[in-house]
Amino acid sequence: MKSFFRMSYPYILWIAIFIVAPMFMILLYAVTRSGNDTLTFTFTLDNFARFFSDPDFIRVLLNSLRIALFTTVFCLLIGYPAALLIANLSEKAQTMMLMLLTLPMWINMLLKTYAWRGILLNTDFGSELKVFIGMVYDFLPFMIIQIHTAIAKLDPNLLVASYDLGANKWKSFLKVTLPLSVPGIISGITLVFLPAVSSFVIPKMLGGGDYVLIGNLIEIYFQQTGDWNFGSAISLIMALIIILAMWATKKLDRTAQED
Amino acid sequence: MTKKLTAVLLLICLALLPVCSLADGTLNVMNYGEYIDEKVIYDFEKEFGVRINYTFNDTPESMYTKLQTGVSYDVVVTSDYMIDRLIKENNVQKMDKSIVTNLDQLSDSVKNLYFDPDNDYSAPYLWQNVVLCYDTTKIDPAKVEEKGWSILLDPELEGHVFLYDSPRDIFMIGLKALGYSMNTESRDELMEAYDWLVKMNQTIHPSFVTDEMIDGMAQGEKWMAMMYSGDATYASMENEKLAVWAPLDGTNIAYDNMFIPANAANPELANQFINYVLDYPNSMLITVETCYTSPNEKVIEDVTGPGGEFEGIDSYVPRTGYEKDEIYTDNELLRTETPELLVKVKLQ
Amino acid sequence: MKKSRASKVFSSAYLIIILLFIYLPIGYLVLFSFNEGKSMTNFSGFSLKWYESMFQNRTMIESITTTLIVAVVATVVSTIVGTVAAIGLSKAKRIIRSIVLEVNNLPVMNPDIVTAIGLMLLFISVKFQLGMVTLILSHISFCIPYVILTVMPKLRQLDDNVAEAALDLGATPFKALTKVIIPQILPAIISGALIAFSMSLDDFVVSYFNTGAGINTISMYVYSMKRYNLSVNAMSTLIVAAVTLILILVNLIPWIKDKKTKKEEP
Repeated sequence: MKSFFRMSYPYILWIAIFIVAPMFMILLYAVTRSGNDTLTFTFTLDNFARFFSDPDFIRVLLNSLRIALFTTVFCLLIGYPAALLIANLSEKAQTMMLMLLTLPMWINMLLKTYAWRGILLNTDFGSELKVFIGMVYDFLPFMIIQIHTAIAKLDPNLLVASYDLGANKWKSFLKVTLPLSVPGIISGITLVFLPAVSSFVIPKMLGGGDYVLIGNLIEIYFQQTGDWNFGSAISLIMALIIILAMWATKKLDRTAQED
Repeated sequence: MTKKLTAVLLLICLALLPVCSLADGTLNVMNYGEYIDEKVIYDFEKEFGVRINYTFNDTPESMYTKLQTGVSYDVVVTSDYMIDRLIKENNVQKMDKSIVTNLDQLSDSVKNLYFDPDNDYSAPYLWQNVVLCYDTTKIDPAKVEEKGWSILLDPELEGHVFLYDSPRDIFMIGLKALGYSMNTESRDELMEAYDWLVKMNQTIHPSFVTDEMIDGMAQGEKWMAMMYSGDATYASMENEKLAVWAPLDGTNIAYDNMFIPANAANPELANQFINYVLDYPNSMLITVETCYTSPNEKVIEDVTGPGGEFEGIDSYVPRTGYEKDEIYTDNELLRTETPELLVKVKLQ
Repeated sequence: MKKSRASKVFSSAYLIIILLFIYLPIGYLVLFSFNEGKSMTNFSGFSLKWYESMFQNRTMIESITTTLIVAVVATVVSTIVGTVAAIGLSKAKRIIRSIVLEVNNLPVMNPDIVTAIGLMLLFISVKFQLGMVTLILSHISFCIPYVILTVMPKLRQLDDNVAEAALDLGATPFKALTKVIIPQILPAIISGALIAFSMSLDDFVVSYFNTGAGINTISMYVYSMKRYNLSVNAMSTLIVAAVTLILILVNLIPWIKDKKTKKEEP
């Protein structure tokens, strides 16, 4: 049995090539200066300085964080009650609901966003609102499912005990269900906030060229300007923000669990 | 374990099969989206007994990026300034004029282009200019004709304008409105155009889109759009309230040509394809389908003549010979600065 | 606790509204696939012409087959590699396991544009031509982590003693693997495979940066489209129908199995 650990070797090789090396390439491009794709090894932190010293880029970053935050909060507010209600349904109904929620995930995101473009054409909404709707739409199912998984795992006896001890429905929810569902909330937030920050297709298709988020910025530098070094620097900045956020949520999760 | 490994390897080989079929009979073509009549592709395949792999790109820049990554294409359709750049970088091979004989069908308007005066490297595919397309019931034509590009500073147009999200073309508007060359190498002039565009953006809050505006204008979603003439032709044919105008400040005339990259896998077939597309019947199919101007002399004559598809449609053939109109050249300043500057315009 | 009628009505209404929201664009796509006109905003009549034109659009059909081939190959490979890796990792030293799992999380947490660009830079720097192979390889690399994430928890729940017992009774390690361990984690493997499959189908950015000449996935095709083309709606409708069918079947089979075993029980 112990020898089974050798089965992990092929994969370790794989990740060295396909996960570590790509990140390393981005890092390399980000800290060097050059023309297009020919790597010349003049190391520099210019690319980062260029990003952070430009108020317009900072604004793009803040816009991305802001819309990701709004999307996440909204998904949470709408998604939590939904998850709760679903968890209270009969077993059969729950499976049905979950199936209905996951079915759209099998349909390519671009097709659904293309449909939203048509739907929103008839409206007078501003670009930001359209992008917001598109993002909420794309991420809501993830939030609902994550929270539902956490709630469904809860021991129903806990609630029964709570009622027996005299707490009403609302108090039981606040003191029992909610705290215990926190892991689900956290993973839901992770699955929504992080991709939302880096989204570039939804802003492009629904916001038109007007709405520039950090993902769009990266695309512009790679595709239009051909400045791969700056593009890589922005990618790295974004990856770092996300890894930091991930680490922070992990810490939150751990402290929540310790409670 | 070994059984599983062999299974995996087999599957990977199966996946590689499409790649392995790169025999003599395959042609890799890269073009703008919806810029051809598919019948031309099918007919060519039938006639020559080959297969065409047809890829899209949306801008010359993204095409250039793909070429940089080493992907091999046989025929590429792109814009003048990009071909200029690629020729200078030795990334284009000469056409075989013993195969491409249909060059003699070309109209004079597309000959003698600065980047390839003798058509050694490229053959014209379609051409156009950038125009204003507007709803005559909402905007007075006299006003449009008088103000030219500066009409985009009119507060009455707020929220009613589409602009094509192309950095070069938008800066062209700014530069032309200020009376400068759109191929300027002066940073100062570029920054003046930037300021003009910021003012424009803050006054009329245009919607920066790409091809959505074609259906958009056809269905009367907005009052005015800055469009390519082929799309304007299409839109104005769908919606009779629309008129098309090339501002007197000058605009850019763009030539989209076909070329054979230096690393083409199948140059002979590539030449055949170019020759095929230049021929009257195919050029006719393409122009009717896309509404962009054909480079073929006889095709232009026939479609603009009596009973022609585009009879009476002025926007079909771009204005030529006007000294304020220009063609793009490969310009490092514009290439590296305009995408970022446009982003900043949108953020002010 | 009894549920009042009002709260039941409220609960159903809330969920129904959410479902309506989720299905709005899908319904819209399906509706307009039958449009007589070519507009995406005005429904002018009923027609099947877009279904006809869809089958004549070779590039679109090819994008569908490409998407499917890539998804199937990527799923199969990543499920196998992922399961093998997960089993190996569950028996590896703690420190190796935690490092590998952290790295494994990168493609999941990283913005997809960063993953896409990283892979592209890698392929270019070793002068590996972009094409079908790079497309599949890049899909495999973002699918494997999901398989591992799904299978690992189930592995942790396993009782090692069963496999140990099998080995003590003379089974080869291979047999212990296939007859004891894998059957126990099979639900997680299938679940991981399904997730990998849907991730591959849904992808756009990684494909966008890592393909070559003439190779389009559905998402790339839609992205590159200029005007609205209702054949895309026709294609979407067929996809919706296929997915619905599959999901119904997948859920029906255990139900039928259940009924069968119930019948067999006295």
